Amino acid sequence: MFDLTLFFISAVLTVIGAIMVITTKDLMHACIYLLASFLGMAGLYLTLGADFVAAIQLLVYVGGVVILMVFAVMLTGGPHAQKQNKFGMIKTALMGNIRTYTIGGLTAVVVLLMMVKLYISIFKNYTAGELPNYLPTVERIGKSLITDHVLAFEISSVLLLGALIGAAIIARPRKNRIN
Amino acid sequence: MTDTIVSYLAKFGPFKDLLEFLTESYGANGPTLFAFLIFLVGVIIIVTILSTIGGLGTYAERKISADMQLRMGPNRVGPYGILQFLADGVKMLMKEDIVPKDVDRLLFFIAPMLALTGVFGTLAVIPFSSGFTLTDLNVGVVYLIGISSLVGLAIFLGGYASNSKWSMLGGMRGASQIISYEIPIVLSILAVVLLSGGLSFGVITRAQGGWPHEWFIFHNPFTFIGFFVLFIGSLAETNRAPFDLPEAESELVSGYHTEFTGMRFAFFALAEYIEVFVVCGVTAALFLGGYQVPFNLGGDTIWGQLLQLGAFFSKTLALYYFVIVIRWTLPRLRVDQLMTMCWKYLIPIALFNLVGAGVWMWLFKGKSLFVLLFKSGTAAAGIH
Amino acid sequence: MSNLDIYMPILMLLLLGVLLVGITVVLISKVVRPHNPNPVKEQAYECGEDPVGSAWSLFNMRFYVTGLIFIIFDVESALMFPVVAVFKSMNEIGLGGLVLIELIIFITILVAGLAYCWRKGDLDWVKSYKMSEDSKEGTGIEND
Repeated sequence: MFDLTLFFISAVLTVIGAIMVITTKDLMHACIYLLASFLGMAGLYLTLGADFVAAIQLLVYVGGVVILMVFAVMLTGGPHAQKQNKFGMIKTALMGNIRTYTIGGLTAVVVLLMMVKLYISIFKNYTAGELPNYLPTVERIGKSLITDHVLAFEISSVLLLGALIGAAIIARPRKNRIN
Repeated sequence: MTDTIVSYLAKFGPFKDLLEFLTESYGANGPTLFAFLIFLVGVIIIVTILSTIGGLGTYAERKISADMQLRMGPNRVGPYGILQFLADGVKMLMKEDIVPKDVDRLLFFIAPMLALTGVFGTLAVIPFSSGFTLTDLNVGVVYLIGISSLVGLAIFLGGYASNSKWSMLGGMRGASQIISYEIPIVLSILAVVLLSGGLSFGVITRAQGGWPHEWFIFHNPFTFIGFFVLFIGSLAETNRAPFDLPEAESELVSGYHTEFTGMRFAFFALAEYIEVFVVCGVTAALFLGGYQVPFNLGGDTIWGQLLQLGAFFSKTLALYYFVIVIRWTLPRLRVDQLMTMCWKYLIPIALFNLVGAGVWMWLFKGKSLFVLLFKSGTAAAGIH
Repeated sequence: MSNLDIYMPILMLLLLGVLLVGITVVLISKVVRPHNPNPVKEQAYECGEDPVGSAWSLFNMRFYVTGLIFIIFDVESALMFPVVAVFKSMNEIGLGGLVLIELIIFITILVAGLAYCWRKGDLDWVKSYKMSEDSKEGTGIEND
């Protein structure tokens, strides 16, 4: 009973949030709808019994990524930044030309075909499943991280190191060209 | 099975009868309905109590500051002015809701909502006692950190939506401060998780004992430092002095809630005071033994639960008092000092603590400092 | 109780937070509070001055850098949570040293990044003023 309620609330939050993200014109509102979508996804993970993943979704996406996006929006001067520079030129780029629309359209068709192929195989072999019994996932994730997947665990640290240094270098203020 | 208030109450006679009745009437949905009823009542009770505590927090803040500054403080409404928060609440409700012309109306409405939602969300896992925890999730600690970060976003949105320069500055400062101090908090919590071997508050609390020497704060020197890292981080996380830069009265008027009036402001204030209680409660549960009472007095009975509630609340309120005293004692930090403190002091210390706690666990097989000293003492006495 | 019933109070609390603010601000307060807006009241408060321009302006890069470094540490802690959670049980069966070494390698790589950022001055809040006055050597900035 509650499983269904949780699923429907999460699904509605996710889908409506995602639709609002792409339809709203205000960047900051889009961030908030994205927050709703992330919260809904955390709920969906819960319905699948992945409690740790849901908690990490809260910790990293709701708590981190949304704030980072909001900061990034502020870096552009806010969603209501002046669209013209001091010479009266419009700063917003054109939305695209024939070439970009062609490439984009072809990509969309290819992705759509792939998804249709995937979904057909899913619907053919569809059987209503039972929810698995509730088992704590943290221990199993931890054990596999330190035994089978220890290399992935350590490599991810190197990946994050690269991200950290890259972020620091990109964000570093460039020296003004005075001379 | 995860411990919840439902699984605790289902052991008692009248609740057992109710459960059986519901199961007979509604079949498989009976237990869910039973859980729904208990959770609903529990949620309403806990929210009411915590809102009252939050309200009393504003009163305590004024009264303690008045004591420290040789003033009277609120003394008109009720005995010793203790009902001042109710008067304030009614006043807030009657105030005109001024929405400035240039605000982002949607976000202006959502910001206080997010602040309150984030704080209420944390209440689900606070271990008030072994029975009266709403739900003791397996990932309780991670969940708590995640859901409470909604408050940081709310502070930013409050500042952003107002479209006022003071608010915007306060909101930006607030968000960056909150996310920065989340890291030392998470790292010192990791050290505690390492000692207790579980992510739920129940496991962490049960790994400690009722006596002070069994608390994690005195487990080893690293956790002793870790406690202070967590406490300082919590102060910054809740925007309390000396880290109250987002609402610095003397420079930013009132910071992120400058433009908020009436109930919108009231919800921000309420969220802040409840959050202070929550972080004090979490600190108490992680480092000060939480609800544990000596000898496990009373056990699972209702009296034992009341004793545990008393232990939890006395530890938490003592920390709450300390937080308020700090606000009226220390001057405010500068923004660059704030960031230096976080990135160059707290985070390296917290990382060192984490490794240190791990090495301690490995070297001494998880024994606490007290056990080691006591054992060597008895061994020495045995030789003589 | 079925599997997911333990998450019920979370949903309830979140809904309660939303409803409490919504109902109080939109309904209850609207009935009792006055409503007399005027142009002066509707200005943003700037200590009596008329506000000039919007507050939604370009903000400093340093907030974004803080956010970026935070995300990385957040993911690191997310990876460390399950490992430290099993440390105790592993320690009891004698594998504590192994887990500890893995954890220390993980943290060391993380600390290397932190030390790099520290050394290059990315953790300094007021770096932008210092950097522009610095001479060429030692800042690690290319002359582009």
